[in-house]
Amino acid sequence: MRRRVSWAPLMLVTLLAGVTVAYLIEARGVSLSPQNLLLLQPTAWLVLLLWAVLAIGYLRTPVLAPEEGPAESWADVGRVVAMVAAFAGFILVLEPLGYDIAIWGFTLIALIIGGERNVIALAIFPPLFSLAIVHGFRLLVPYPFPTSLI
Amino acid sequence: MIDFPAFGAAISLLAGSPQAWIWVVPGLLIGLVFGALPGISVSMAMALVLPATLYMDFLPAIIFLTSVYTGAGFGGSIPAILINIPGTSSAVATTFDGYPMARKGLHSEALGAALVSSCIGVLISYIILFVLVQPLAEVVLRIGPFEMAAIGIWGLVLLGSIGGSTVAKGLFAAAIGVLCGTVGMNTAGYMRGDMGIPWLLDGVPTIPAMVGLLAASQLFALVNAKFIVENKENRTISLRRILAGGRLVLGSPGTLLRGSAIGVFVGAVPGVGSSIANLISYGETRRSSPDPESYGTGNPRGVIAAESANSSSEGGSMATMLALGIPGGGATAILLAAFAMHNVIGGPRFMEQNRDIVYAIILSNFAQALVLLVIGAGFVFVASTIVRLPLRYLIPTVLVMSTMGAFAIEGSIAGPLTLLAFAVLGWLMSRYGFPVAAIVVGLLLGKLIETEMLRAYQLAGGDAVRVLDYPVAVGIILLMLVSLALSLRRDLRRRAALKTDTAAAVD
Repeated sequence: MRRRVSWAPLMLVTLLAGVTVAYLIEARGVSLSPQNLLLLQPTAWLVLLLWAVLAIGYLRTPVLAPEEGPAESWADVGRVVAMVAAFAGFILVLEPLGYDIAIWGFTLIALIIGGERNVIALAIFPPLFSLAIVHGFRLLVPYPFPTSLI
Repeated sequence: MIDFPAFGAAISLLAGSPQAWIWVVPGLLIGLVFGALPGISVSMAMALVLPATLYMDFLPAIIFLTSVYTGAGFGGSIPAILINIPGTSSAVATTFDGYPMARKGLHSEALGAALVSSCIGVLISYIILFVLVQPLAEVVLRIGPFEMAAIGIWGLVLLGSIGGSTVAKGLFAAAIGVLCGTVGMNTAGYMRGDMGIPWLLDGVPTIPAMVGLLAASQLFALVNAKFIVENKENRTISLRRILAGGRLVLGSPGTLLRGSAIGVFVGAVPGVGSSIANLISYGETRRSSPDPESYGTGNPRGVIAAESANSSSEGGSMATMLALGIPGGGATAILLAAFAMHNVIGGPRFMEQNRDIVYAIILSNFAQALVLLVIGAGFVFVASTIVRLPLRYLIPTVLVMSTMGAFAIEGSIAGPLTLLAFAVLGWLMSRYGFPVAAIVVGLLLGKLIETEMLRAYQLAGGDAVRVLDYPVAVGIILLMLVSLALSLRRDLRRRAALKTDTAAAVD
């Protein structure tokens, strides 16, 4: 039977196993007492054992086995990655730019990524939504959050 | 067990106090709205209305708050089903089958099943509370760290392979979740994995992480779709189909009763409550089902199991609160605060001296469950319009609301940052077939298991054999091992079948 390597899931589990090793080393550096490692150490070992099982499977995926992950075109993947990047950018600029501008900007970009091309909708929805969210959450939430315009 | 003179007094108390009834409908509506808002928990909703009860008499105040509690208990399942966001941690298991049902266009049926399971769950739990309030509370007091740790591990293992993934992938995801749950300072005072970030000392913020894993990651995967329900004919909202979903519940009495029983008993344990009850009930229903593979793909029994357990845990936590004065979670803590605001001290003495008021609270909850059936159906009908919204609008709207909800819970940027980290992790893991729900379960139970294991370790003086002195804990562990063996056998059989199919295709 012909086999191939499923690189993407292999990299993901290897990354998570790497983070687990780093966490285990850090935790062991804090203390070797069972009261520190009672659950953490056996769970970390379990992750590494399962990583080995999964990695062997990904290194020897039968060619006829279904592809790991959804079947998408590069354009589809690009749109998803753009949305993830836009969301990451939104969270990171919340405090520097203010919640109002960040919400307005993210909504506009996400609408464009989602395929909205109506200029009027793009001009009206993001600022109105930002206004509603900021005012609504100010009423509900007792903590202050920084805004630039509202 | 039932004090009939007090029962009679409770009826006359309720009959002579119209003020006690007028707050039921507003309470339920407030609970439904707040429960359905991602990031606003049951306890937050109750905390927001608590000051309003200051000027009410004691009984109407408590009835108003329990109405909010009942409404929010069901409200959390609405976003869980429609957009895969558990409104509260007790609706996590509802997402496992509720959201796949919605994606198939069965949103009305899923919501109907959730509503009727919730109402019957509340009814059953209060009937049990009505008959067994005192003995139940005494049983709860006997549950120690050994039993609690075993319950936590049981919940984790039962859900090791959600959604038809392999056991290895399920356990890997669950173990990653547990490790995330151990980040921060444990109860013995050791600080691990906090990376020097002060807010991580308290551990990973659970609700933002949960919303990130379950909802945001799913929304990313939907960027290329037009609507939650692809088929236009299936986007209809129909009261008839909501009622058909309700009828599905009546056709699954075993699932309903098992969920309600698990909900009452697990819900009664302080500190555990509904967030675990729904997971254990779901896991047990799936394990005992003849077709476990169908769970996680839109099996209505999954919704019934989760919803009956999370609603009935309300009765369980009320038992502990009324009989012992111990709040099982945030919501009952706020009820105790309302007791204190009216100069009433909850606990055994209150229970002994005011049994008529206790019965009046229970009777009012029977009525609340029935009223919820009507109000909930109307609310669900309106909320279902979400399936008609184009995803290009829904995705940014829900992502922004989740971010604000995460901020509201943490009160700082820690919530949104956690949401982002777990959204990306969840998106990557679900892309490659790992059950994201297992990470959520690991995260929810990891901290609890570690805390209880530590207590058990300290009690046993490090001697693991001492667990044999606790037969309930041993029984749960044995049950868990049998369940794991059955899951492994199923996995091996499926793999053998796949191998046979692949060999046949090669030939």
